[in-house]
Amino acid sequence: MAARSAEALLGVGFLGIMATLYLGFQWAPSVSIDAFESPAAQRIFYWHVPAAWAAFIAFAVLFAGSAMWFFKRSPLGWRLHVAGAEAGLACGLITVWSGCVWGAAEWGTPWDWTDVRLNTFGLLTLLALFLVLGRQSQPDGVETRDTFSTFGLYGFILVPLTYIATRIWEIRHPGPVIGTGDDSGSLAGDMAIVLLLGALSFTVFILGHILMSMRITGLEQRLEQVQHQIDGGN
Amino acid sequence: MDGLNYLTVAYLGMIAGIAIWTWTVVTRSKSIEARLAAVEASVGVSASDADAIAKKVDE
Repeated sequence: MAARSAEALLGVGFLGIMATLYLGFQWAPSVSIDAFESPAAQRIFYWHVPAAWAAFIAFAVLFAGSAMWFFKRSPLGWRLHVAGAEAGLACGLITVWSGCVWGAAEWGTPWDWTDVRLNTFGLLTLLALFLVLGRQSQPDGVETRDTFSTFGLYGFILVPLTYIATRIWEIRHPGPVIGTGDDSGSLAGDMAIVLLLGALSFTVFILGHILMSMRITGLEQRLEQVQHQIDGGN
Repeated sequence: MDGLNYLTVAYLGMIAGIAIWTWTVVTRSKSIEARLAAVEASVGVSASDADAIAKKVDE
């Protein structure tokens, strides 16, 4: 049942993501050719921004799971931690990749080491990579879980920092175009609709992945338990 | 390279990333499900016992 729900969410999310891509190319208006060095490449934004949004959801799940494990020793918390780290890594890599390609087209360089948002988001993705690879290379146990949960807890500070980075230090990464709280948002209505569809689709897709990942971790724990019983444990 | 080529490279990379990630997760789920069923069948764990084990894992 849980597997079916996760697969359904993955399917619906994937269809929405593909619809976003189609609408982004066929329906959304293009940007002013005077405002951008590479106006065509701006359409990367229809997946780049929703992927970053989905990454933030994944990092929030990672934080909640880490806290639940660290303070309550909750197995559900550990499954959330694992799922959040995997989803955060995947969405983080999609965001970084699309951002680098856009940067190469628009700025002439894929990365700017002086830009705060680029670097804090890059660090978040590296943190997720460390958590995913670290868990795979270490034997599962309370100490291992405590260590990784600590990183999940402290690493979350990068999420609000990344969010506010372009509001405080707009160096190279463009500032917010929606939800600015004033009239400075410059996004056309049709663009906003496609972007909203993308954000909803990525949210559904990431929830499907998180449920699927939690189920896999649960099955792995159950398999270990059965094997432990076969080996003569209780 | 013009903007459209950059756009193509970016989207192809993202589509490949999403496809590989989803494929890996779904096949991992199916594979571990099959392994668990095989192990439980080989040791004669009934469905109700399996549920009890699953509950124990959750505690």
